[in-house]
Amino acid sequence: MEALLRHLKNILELLAVSQTDRVREWDHHTVQRAFQWAEYCEQLHSRFQSNPTVRSALESGLNDTNQRLQDTLPSYSPVMFSDLAQCQHKLLVHLLRNPYAPNSVIQMLCPDPKTEFQIDQSSFITCRSAFNLLCCTLDRNTHAGIQAEAEVRGKLLGKLLNSLLTRSGNDEYARTVLNSILRDSAGKIESLYDIIAAALLSSNDESNAVTQNFILAWFRDHDGCLSKLCQTLSPGVCTVLSRQSPEFKQAYWGVLKHWASCLEYDVLESVWAPTSDASVTFNVLADRFKDLLNSGPPLKEDTETELKALKLEGGDFNVKGINIWTDLIIQLKL
Amino acid sequence: MAAVSETDVQFWMAKAVNWGEATSCSALLDASRHLGYLRSFLQQVLLGLQQMSSTSEAMKTFPFVGQFLGRLCWNPCVIADERSQRLLLRCLSCLYSAEPLNAVERKANMWIKNMLCHLISEEEGSVAHATVKHAGSSPKRYHSEALQKVVSLMTEEVIKSCDGLPKTSARCSNENIHTMSTACIALVTCPQMAPLIGALLKHSMLCGSSCLNQEFIKEVSDALISKRLVLEDEAVVNLWCLSPTCLERAVVSLLESVLSDHETMTQSLDKHVNDSLLPQASAHYCHIFLTVTEIYRNVLTEIDENLAVRALIQVFTACFLQRLTGQKPQDRLPLRAFFPNVTPSLLSPLLTAPSEVPREAWLDHLSWIRSLLQSVTENEEAGEDVRAYEAVFETWFLLVQCGYWVDTAVELLVLAVPENPEPLLWLLTFFHHPTNRGHQRSQQSALAREAWTHLRMLFLTRPPPPSHLSAVKELLSSSSSSLSTNLVLHLFSNFAIFSHGPVSIITEITDKVLTEAAVKRRALWILASIRCRLNSAPSWDDRVHSRLRTLQDTLLQT
Repeated sequence: MEALLRHLKNILELLAVSQTDRVREWDHHTVQRAFQWAEYCEQLHSRFQSNPTVRSALESGLNDTNQRLQDTLPSYSPVMFSDLAQCQHKLLVHLLRNPYAPNSVIQMLCPDPKTEFQIDQSSFITCRSAFNLLCCTLDRNTHAGIQAEAEVRGKLLGKLLNSLLTRSGNDEYARTVLNSILRDSAGKIESLYDIIAAALLSSNDESNAVTQNFILAWFRDHDGCLSKLCQTLSPGVCTVLSRQSPEFKQAYWGVLKHWASCLEYDVLESVWAPTSDASVTFNVLADRFKDLLNSGPPLKEDTETELKALKLEGGDFNVKGINIWTDLIIQLKL
Repeated sequence: MAAVSETDVQFWMAKAVNWGEATSCSALLDASRHLGYLRSFLQQVLLGLQQMSSTSEAMKTFPFVGQFLGRLCWNPCVIADERSQRLLLRCLSCLYSAEPLNAVERKANMWIKNMLCHLISEEEGSVAHATVKHAGSSPKRYHSEALQKVVSLMTEEVIKSCDGLPKTSARCSNENIHTMSTACIALVTCPQMAPLIGALLKHSMLCGSSCLNQEFIKEVSDALISKRLVLEDEAVVNLWCLSPTCLERAVVSLLESVLSDHETMTQSLDKHVNDSLLPQASAHYCHIFLTVTEIYRNVLTEIDENLAVRALIQVFTACFLQRLTGQKPQDRLPLRAFFPNVTPSLLSPLLTAPSEVPREAWLDHLSWIRSLLQSVTENEEAGEDVRAYEAVFETWFLLVQCGYWVDTAVELLVLAVPENPEPLLWLLTFFHHPTNRGHQRSQQSALAREAWTHLRMLFLTRPPPPSHLSAVKELLSSSSSSLSTNLVLHLFSNFAIFSHGPVSIITEITDKVLTEAAVKRRALWILASIRCRLNSAPSWDDRVHSRLRTLQDTLLQT
């Protein structure tokens, strides 16, 4: 363990130095060794990422080193455990942005048969462009009604969370991951809706119930009653999610009821109108219920039962204009 | 001196501006279509830049280069293409100054570094950036997995769209398939793309009309031939059905590879032929078989004395017939469909392999074949009819394809001592001399009998009598016409392999009789076809195989 902590200390110092003018002294060999250290660091991360005991020991080591480096170098930005997964990339970007970096870096990047050590990025660049290109091509929504790019990113996020949450003791860490993603998307949670939905949808087996509930809980902590999420996601996606996750279904129902409660009957116009911007129109609400009903058993029966119960609760009227649930049921021809 | 013309510069600058970031369908289509030409232009630019002594000079000579390269770096279609990407990076590397001498060079350096940064990272503050940064793995692995996932999404779409429903209800219209195939043009050599490429090819087969971009088919074909792409067998065969040019290139490629490396090829010809997938594809699709045989027929008419080509044709046909018998009876087409140019009565005797006929019946079977063939040749000799001449050619070609029967005839000439070797000698002579130009057939028959007699004496008497030794040597030297040499070589090789007697005799005789390298090489091809026939024989004969190996080793020694 001491060896590991020492190695991490070295790597953090390496990363720190790579942003300063001290890199002027780095020769070809030093650059090569730096990248080899960075690769080792990535291996460390992948080995201990889901191991809470070792990880927290490493994290506290990182904290100490971060503190020390912050004291000595004012422009230093702390390195978190999750950053270690991308050590080589970070190092490369530091060197590219550093005007004092040795010229050999450029030679190592550009394909040249004469250079012995290469930081081969070509297959990475190809994969990244290919991914962007194909996402553009498949611009129609996929089966769940989400854009291809969001679906893929969501699936990968779901996979990561799943691997963390299947081992106990990783809840806090998983929460940090989501928090960091939110922070680095300029704090705009709206941009994450599609990805969150895709992460929720990402697969259907037992272990994913845990992940789904975790994501929903985190989301509620950040966005309140999931109202905006459900508003942004299409009725189709919400229906699919409701089928897959009982928790989501409950939450969705909560949102729908909330929206219903925000509608008031306008006697003059003979319509139910929204009383606030945070709600939806009557027809939109009806459409969402229609989608739930069209989804087949068991969701269909559940929805029917629930609607009838709500009508009963609201006074069991059969005339329009008094209770919204009555009107919905009439509209949906149940 | 500018290495690039002004018109080219204007054309490509306009293109680069037009394409933008290639997000629209039309921009993507246009960029993919022009990739090949763009690569040539970039190659010219690179050459020009390499001749510059400094970045300042480069910027003066090629003022467009900064903007041009910059725009291309933002175009995912261009960057995703391996070869274009490499050229772009090399151009950037040329423009980088190790020791910048002025503001222009310093700025260029910074710009290049920024460009490189952009190529490997996402825009900060974007969702893409956030998800990649906290993905728990390196950006390399993340994007490799992401690519795999988007490919499988697209593959699913393609597969779903041809599940037998009428096209109007398919979610994936023809236009969509066309767009997808266009996007794949730049990505054909990316290993993760293979499932999607296979699905697109299969879709085209199942849905009849080809809505695939022709450029895409050509790129896949090129990549397959130059081994920059690996596809599943079924996808390769689908590609051949969609693109006759691709099929022809595959046939020619097999031919060229076989002819270029006699040492390896003569030892494992059947394996190479099977690895090419052509026999399997031919058994499934009649038109593929007919295309292959057409090409072989043409090659043979141009260089008919080439034993290598004959060996290839023989082995290909044998492999093809094996695949055919492996098919379910209800899937099998009648043999007439595969061999439309010959009299149907010839098909059964020739296309039944010797391994399927009991040994004792070989002589009778061969007599039967001989009488059928003789009636065709007699027809031709009777009149000056061109059709009759063609009939002889087609019949002879069928015999070349079923060369295993000629090899069998020669084996019998070695082992049995038939009271009447005449039918067997006739077959051998016809095989090597189908035409009767200048009434040579009687001459050649006499030669065949003479050679056979000498070889029998040579291999059956110990020690080998010197008179026969020199007679055979004379027959095999290049002073005789190559027409006769091949016939004698054919006899010789079979005698060496099948006759009884000590193995040492093979080396002893061969060294004395086959002295020229060219002749030895031809003998190797005869061995190749004998080996393939023995490989599919019902039983393995150790003695024969060890004699074959000995002869081969002797021939390979320089």
